[in-house]
Amino acid sequence: MAVVDAGKRSGAHQPGAGAAARPRPSTFVLKQVMAVTGVIFVGFVFVHMIGNLKVYFGAESLDSYATWLRRVGYPLIPHQGVLWALRVVLSVSLLAHMWAAITLWLRGRRARGPHRRRRPATFSARTASWMLPGGLAIAVFVVVHILDLTLGAGVAASGHQHADPDGTVHAYANLVASFSRPWMAVFYVVIMLVVAFHIEHGVRTLMQDFGATGRRLRKIWAVVGGALALAVVLGNALIPVLVLVGVIS
Amino acid sequence: MSTMRVEIEIWRQEGPEDRGAFETHVVEDATPEMSLLELLDRLNDQLAEQGIEPIAFESDCREGVCGACGVTVDDRPHGPVPNTPSCRQHLRAFGNISRLRIEPLRSAAFPVIRDLVVDRSAMDRVIEAGGTVDVAAGTAPDADDLLVGHDDAEVALDFAACIGCGACVAACPNGAAHLFAGAKLAHLALIPHGKMQRGERGHAVLNELDAEFGPCSTYGECVTVCPAGIPLEAVAAVHREGLRGLFRGRAD
Repeated sequence: MAVVDAGKRSGAHQPGAGAAARPRPSTFVLKQVMAVTGVIFVGFVFVHMIGNLKVYFGAESLDSYATWLRRVGYPLIPHQGVLWALRVVLSVSLLAHMWAAITLWLRGRRARGPHRRRRPATFSARTASWMLPGGLAIAVFVVVHILDLTLGAGVAASGHQHADPDGTVHAYANLVASFSRPWMAVFYVVIMLVVAFHIEHGVRTLMQDFGATGRRLRKIWAVVGGALALAVVLGNALIPVLVLVGVIS
Repeated sequence: MSTMRVEIEIWRQEGPEDRGAFETHVVEDATPEMSLLELLDRLNDQLAEQGIEPIAFESDCREGVCGACGVTVDDRPHGPVPNTPSCRQHLRAFGNISRLRIEPLRSAAFPVIRDLVVDRSAMDRVIEAGGTVDVAAGTAPDADDLLVGHDDAEVALDFAACIGCGACVAACPNGAAHLFAGAKLAHLALIPHGKMQRGERGHAVLNELDAEFGPCSTYGECVTVCPAGIPLEAVAAVHREGLRGLFRGRAD
């Protein structure tokens, strides 16, 4: 058996003669950018949710965790060092994720042409069509959430307390003050549902983008994605509900 | 024989440059056992009798193996029955329909040639890029010369079932051809001659997909229309071959 030198055969293993100019960066690269940054976000959201669970153990528990986050690694790492490293990674990831998403969306529209599909029938197709608008809603939420509970500016509750000079954070009191406003509680719950569908479909797409072809692996992967989405929505969305009914106060 | 009246809203387009539009015709004597293509045949007979130019559409084997036919019916490539080519979709399966909207397979990669006929040569260019095996195979080898495991052979055959009809592309809101390309890549990655060019094949096919088709967002619409039953794993196979080639950096 001999492999004929592919380069010597006209047309073989080369883009076809009629091929249009290839866009750069390639769709494959953009999809991988989305996948890798998506993994970072799913990891972040999951860890963030685990941290939020401390709210169920009382003010002391959440506040000391929030304060610890600002001191973790000290003295090897300066105060807030880990936090800022995470912020930089997440911000860069967010920009890359959104840039890739919008570029791919535009390419998809162009490749489809003027006659669009009208009725996506399956669950997968519905969640897929919600990825971009849902993602934009999440981006808006990120800004609102940071203003509300990190910076204590703009949309923050009137009773918002900034951190003490010694670094003690009043996360619990701020959270209760914020979610005591019904509109913020509802907004938060709605966004958590959007996040859950975004994660469910995102993890399903990760499996495609990372090339998981094994049948058993794919089944497990889809179940894990669904479980992650469910955990995030349950762990987080319950908090404002419990604040509103007065369990957390 | 019971007949039914079917109103057909059908796409008419003179040529690639024409804008095209729907026009409505009525077939009074359609029967439940007619396939979609037979309904079009009946309509064309009627049009010919009236001295009107018949509607151009593609078909060949009419038994679901050639991939030549394929029209969009009520926004679904091939028609309302899942995973069935247009030629094997019969009116009896549509329930109580009295109206059908028939148009070409839609995608920017599939320019309309005339009426319902589209140019699917963009898919040929994917095959040109990497759908072949460049091996001088000589005469038929002894049966035990190249050993292929039974499971591998079966899976390769499942992916080789693709008939290249283009319905996956037309079903995709993004105009992606990953199901089609992935079927080819998954098939050739499993067989001994194909394996020797896995790296360069993945690279070439991905380049060709980029040039003429859209990205995959896992809508999963393609698998609901594919007459060959190609699974969504094919899409993962595209990226698997791409990543494998990237990290390996070799032709095989």
